[in-house]
Amino acid sequence: MKHIVLQACAALCLAATATAFAAKQELVIGIGTQNTTTNTVTGGVVLKELHLIEKYLPHTGKYKDITFKLDWQNFTSGPPITNGMMAKKLHIGMMGDYPLLVNGATGQAQQGNETQLVAVIAYNAFGSGNGIVVHKDSPYYQLSDLKGKTVSVPFGSAAHGMVLQALQARGLSPDTFFNLVSQSPEVGTTNLQEKKIDAHADFVPFADLLPYRGFARKIFDGVETKVPTFHGVVVRKDFATEYPEVVVAYIKALIEADAWVRANPVQAATKVEEWTKIEKEVAYLYLGPGGIHTLDPSIKPRWLDTIKTGHEVLSKMNRVKGLDINAWVNETYVRQAFKELKLDYDAQKQTLANYDVSGTDPLCRMPIARPKEAGEVWIEGAGITAYASPACTLAAVNKAQAENKKVRVAYLVDRALGIKLFADKAFYALDTRDPKKPQIVPFLLKKDAEAHAATIGGRLATYTDALAAAAGL
Amino acid sequence: MSTAPRRLFEEVSPAHPPDPGPPAIALVRLEDTLRQPAAPTPPAAATVRPRFAERAADALREHGPCVFMGACSLFGVLLFWHLATTYRWDFYIRFNNIPTPLDVLDKVMQVNANGKFITNVGMSLRRIFLGFAVATVAGVAMGLAIGRYRITRGLLFPALEAMRPIPAIAWVPISIMLWPDNEVSIVFITFIGAFFPILLNTVSGVQAVDGVLLRAGQCLGAKESQLMWHVVLPGAAPQIFTGLAVGMGVAWVSLIAAEMISGQFGIGYFTWEAYSLISYPEIVLGMITIGLLGLACSGLIRFAGRALMPWLSFAARSGAAR
Repeated sequence: MKHIVLQACAALCLAATATAFAAKQELVIGIGTQNTTTNTVTGGVVLKELHLIEKYLPHTGKYKDITFKLDWQNFTSGPPITNGMMAKKLHIGMMGDYPLLVNGATGQAQQGNETQLVAVIAYNAFGSGNGIVVHKDSPYYQLSDLKGKTVSVPFGSAAHGMVLQALQARGLSPDTFFNLVSQSPEVGTTNLQEKKIDAHADFVPFADLLPYRGFARKIFDGVETKVPTFHGVVVRKDFATEYPEVVVAYIKALIEADAWVRANPVQAATKVEEWTKIEKEVAYLYLGPGGIHTLDPSIKPRWLDTIKTGHEVLSKMNRVKGLDINAWVNETYVRQAFKELKLDYDAQKQTLANYDVSGTDPLCRMPIARPKEAGEVWIEGAGITAYASPACTLAAVNKAQAENKKVRVAYLVDRALGIKLFADKAFYALDTRDPKKPQIVPFLLKKDAEAHAATIGGRLATYTDALAAAAGL
Repeated sequence: MSTAPRRLFEEVSPAHPPDPGPPAIALVRLEDTLRQPAAPTPPAAATVRPRFAERAADALREHGPCVFMGACSLFGVLLFWHLATTYRWDFYIRFNNIPTPLDVLDKVMQVNANGKFITNVGMSLRRIFLGFAVATVAGVAMGLAIGRYRITRGLLFPALEAMRPIPAIAWVPISIMLWPDNEVSIVFITFIGAFFPILLNTVSGVQAVDGVLLRAGQCLGAKESQLMWHVVLPGAAPQIFTGLAVGMGVAWVSLIAAEMISGQFGIGYFTWEAYSLISYPEIVLGMITIGLLGLACSGLIRFAGRALMPWLSFAARSGAAR
């Protein structure tokens, strides 16, 4: 009896494996994501959670007998993804500009391990997203205040590149101006919180996340370097050559994820918080309308200039091998994806347009004509409402507080740097000579607010002062 | 130890031929036996030189095979590494992208062009020794207390046992917050690595001390402190030294986690930074340096152990012969 059962089992197992082998071949696609790096989510966690790649994966022709298995692996920075790609464990990876160029150079240095840049996920054309933060109680307000101090940055990251470029542009040497040390985001954050370092430079979203969490202040934004920053997608060349349709499917899914975020940014930010634990207020700051980062898969020539500049910076420090950019960048897949979705790739490549804050201001009762002066208020339970000016935005905050509603966050746009920021972390130039028509101009940096206050004959103010000034509205 | 009483009787009998005087058992005063080893005449000056040569030859005979075998073992690893990476072996384990020994040698030349690498090594050695020194003092002291007294064992041991399995890297954020200075945070993590092996081995060494010896000491009127110093500590010493050797190893193991905090200097940091810039030869160089430094440190501890516990070298020698 026992025998028969055993035999039956064995036969069953054999049959099962035999049919599995005969019918379907499994293709494992390793995808290295950075869930906590908020501007890569549409290339990573959004695709994973909404099962968008599965929607576009090919099932005909040579893929008839192939089942796909997506192997998602999450990391907090780019280098481990490059490592996984070199080890053939990951086929698709996403990272910021500096890790990307190290990825490309490392791949080209080892024959058979070449990688290719096939798409961009998100960018800021002037370098915002990376930034330097200090402890909120510290007396530093701009880069020059950090002379002789200890500043940490994850070496090899986009933020590292930003620091080097900022110093280079000012004719300063990273060896003598301050003491630059390498700390991962995790370690740097703890050190900053404990005031054990003077400043920490980091990439998306830490330069805004740490101020949002309440213990840090951003004193330098990458936008001051005017050098674009972006996150992109690299694939192993051997994988892409063998399965080009898979790469195209991935990019099509990426385009759909971008559309999903733009269609309902509040819901997207809420979901991103649920999936990645990065607060939705911060996710919205990056990916919402007029946000710090623009979702756009096209590979623009300006981004490649960033790579070139970055490569020169790292070469000078003898930290990177040679990189043949022309061999590394491959637009064919993203072009094909656009074509299959009936989109115009060349038009997309030309434009730097982001989607903007729009609509009608319900408080000041006027259309929002200048998105760069608009503001948004996020009321607990009521969602986000847009307002036409900083004064109207702050008046709306006052009104909500008077009605005992909880204001989650308010956003304004820095007049000098053009980046979206948290209203309660900003500095203001105030002119309240006419209380019915106060001039309230927000800035990230104290020095910019001071300068503007001087030109309009007003004064430098904090968020509380600005709220008070808007009370007369 | 067990041979001592027997020798006592053997040596006694010719010195005290049986006579009708006092009974034979009463007889041997401790001083007599202790004086016994001094009895042979001290070596004459003339005989020192040949004895030195003899000793050198002895040492060679004794340690030669050991050194030879050690060299073989290290060379074997090197050879395997060279073959595997040069011919890019690929049989489930893949050596395709592992840097070759020559790549790493190139890196050695490169990094030694300036003094930075040596500074890194020096910083790490300092951190390891500080952490290890504190761990030795704390581990041995607590180990003695835990091993000897039930109350300390009951109160301390469970908490320490719960902390023991926590990996060094998990301590990183807490360590940053605990200590005001980062250098201390780093030393703390190497301390954590070294502390537990030392503690555990000390405890087990103390518990293994022969009860007969303790009772003998008590009978001879030794106070608790004397008992600790003269009986328990030497009795547990072999195990303590095992703990020190293991602890030293684990301290090096935790070095990368520790130096992630530093952000600059240190061989662990060097290795970590090489990872963030994806420079494989540097990573391997860092690994090898840590390995060799660890080997040297453990050697130092064994040497110290032999110097402090001469009674053990006899056993070790007879073991080596086998």
